[in-house]
Amino acid sequence: MTTPENKPISAQGLSRREALLWIGKAAGSAAMLQAATLFGVLAAPAAAQAELVKLKPLTTGRKTVLILGAGISGLVAAYELGKAGYQCKILEASHRAGGRNFTIRHGDFIDELGNPQFCHFDKDPDLYFNAGPARIPAHHTAILHYCREFGVEMQLFCNHNKNCYTQDDKAFGGKAVRIREYEADTRGFFSELMAKSIQSQAKLDAPFDEIDRQKLIEFCRAYGDLSSDFTYEGSERAGYQSGGILSPGVLKTPRALADLLQSDFWAGAMHFGELSDQSAALMTPVGGMDKIVDAFLSRLPGKVQLKAQVQKVQLLPQGVEVSYWLDGQLQAEQADYCLNCIPAQLMAGIENNFPADYVGVMRQLQRGKLSKIALQAKERFWEKDQIYSGISWTSQDITQIWYPSHGMFKAKGILLGAYSWDPAISDRFSAMTNQQRIATAIAQGSKLHPDYAKYIEQGNSICWQRMNHMLGCGAVWSEELLKTSFATLQAPVGGHYMVGDQVSYHPGWQEGAVRSAWHAMESIQQQELQKQRQVAV
Amino acid sequence: MKYWIFGCLLFAASLQAETFQQNAQYCLVCHGSKAQGNAAISAPNLAILPDWYLTAQLRAFQSDWRGHQTTDAYSKEMMAVAKSMSPEEIKRAIGFITSFQVSKAVETLDGNISHGKALFQTCAACHGASAEGNKSLGAPPLAGQYSWYLLRQLQAYRSGQRGNAEQDSKGALMKQIASSLNSEQDLNDIVAYINTLALPSTSVKN
Repeated sequence: MTTPENKPISAQGLSRREALLWIGKAAGSAAMLQAATLFGVLAAPAAAQAELVKLKPLTTGRKTVLILGAGISGLVAAYELGKAGYQCKILEASHRAGGRNFTIRHGDFIDELGNPQFCHFDKDPDLYFNAGPARIPAHHTAILHYCREFGVEMQLFCNHNKNCYTQDDKAFGGKAVRIREYEADTRGFFSELMAKSIQSQAKLDAPFDEIDRQKLIEFCRAYGDLSSDFTYEGSERAGYQSGGILSPGVLKTPRALADLLQSDFWAGAMHFGELSDQSAALMTPVGGMDKIVDAFLSRLPGKVQLKAQVQKVQLLPQGVEVSYWLDGQLQAEQADYCLNCIPAQLMAGIENNFPADYVGVMRQLQRGKLSKIALQAKERFWEKDQIYSGISWTSQDITQIWYPSHGMFKAKGILLGAYSWDPAISDRFSAMTNQQRIATAIAQGSKLHPDYAKYIEQGNSICWQRMNHMLGCGAVWSEELLKTSFATLQAPVGGHYMVGDQVSYHPGWQEGAVRSAWHAMESIQQQELQKQRQVAV
Repeated sequence: MKYWIFGCLLFAASLQAETFQQNAQYCLVCHGSKAQGNAAISAPNLAILPDWYLTAQLRAFQSDWRGHQTTDAYSKEMMAVAKSMSPEEIKRAIGFITSFQVSKAVETLDGNISHGKALFQTCAACHGASAEGNKSLGAPPLAGQYSWYLLRQLQAYRSGQRGNAEQDSKGALMKQIASSLNSEQDLNDIVAYINTLALPSTSVKN
């Protein structure tokens, strides 16, 4: 048995670090970070997490705030600070607000450097894909707070569906297998192994007594659906071979354990849904994730200046001055505070007078590389294959296929034909033209759905590390950098704050963006209270 | 009816133009707000480069001389951008970039500077004694460029990932010279020496 890097697993089993690497491969850096916290590799962040941000009305006179970037953190800041009485203005470099919260529909422009695309999906409210965030876990209470407050209509997002496939070139001749089949057989064999080894021992070591021993054996039976003699002989959980409604169900023959172990599907398909961020039942706004952006924008009329590209950020003795390009002209504006959600790796290249250690951290954050490819299918062929929503997995570069959680039985649908967070894979996709990416997604998807090509009409792709004004997805912090420098980047320098999911322990999630903005705003409030006290003295 | 359709077409055309960023500040997203480069995303200093060299390299990227046969993801990124640019956009971008004041990348590189200086004599024949560049030979200024960038390019020439295209005679020459260097340490020492040189004067740039 080997790891994904083909290193043999040691007799002692996985080290914590190895386990983390696997989780990281399966679920991205945010999951790895979270798991790392669970495993005690990293100290959990010390910052107290407020239930909800509550800013007191401003009482210290007119205060101005420049917010750089109209992503989720910027929108949250403008909305909350505005409500509290601050004069806010958002400067956004691109042609649209929302940042990585980007739902792509008919007519939308995808501003990828060197690979600009328009979306030609049919004009239909159901035909869209969420190129950035697509799902919200229940414990992301900060972003959900705004969905509730703004009345954003939500629906379930199915993140784990056992009827979907797992496909691995190394196993079963590359043939796709239903996740439920793989999972039932694997659990069956492991339970049998466990039950028999417990049975073979006269008694367990203290503190386990005979009753515990019996309970453990019963647990194994239930966990693996074992027969009365604790043998795994197949299970209904794998789906019947035939029958089951008007005739007796016929079980499928279990696959051999040795064959099951050829694939590392358990690193992805099987255990993915165990992560708290990746539960089977997540949520998403009806009609696209950008309904959240729309809800903010409708409450911020005239506050967002698009196509304003920041050229310079200068800390002043009091406040901050920001210079930016607008319509080919350089403009300058001063404010008491600046909330800056420009990706740190780009801010490092923008003229500034920041302290060396502060900008030094920005230089060390790595660009998150993440790609998605969306395909318009002229027919919802997956429904005929008994798949309604969920995710299939493959060992190929496309990594996953997502089936939409909405629009059942409609004529057409948008599939996510590839979703990769592996930097090497993302480099391969980013080096392709859009046409090549679509062709690759179709070719690889055909291993899961033989007639795939017949159904796919067109597609769009997004490589976040190549998107104009972003050049990266969630910031990549090394464990070391988090330990030494997170606090530096989170702390204000005068009236200047770096914000966004990049300044959270949860990069790549909207929750990180909201909470980072809340954290900065509470600090601004403290600064104002302090000024008030000084005046009083 | 006809007018209505014409109106829609006009609107569609202006919408398309509106969403693209026509202006040259596009370059600054990656290469820094003063075109001084950005190490955080591996974008080299453009401000030290003269218009003729920028033109030649954009042409190299467009013609698959650069970025095509390479494992370097950053070159591929630039290749895609270059290929998406029209001649008019290239002209405008270069005009914009060369308007910035030259600034030097601040960094230090460990290496044997005196050994690098000795090796640099070969380089000086084309790139000039102060690495200020030579237009008539098509040799760009090197002084003020990031060390990691110079090293990566020397490695690309040595491995044949750059300077391999038949029509790219200047690249071929550079490939030959880079291949004659004995070791990675030699490359490092040369770059460490270049790193000590002052910026080329603006008169050279123009």
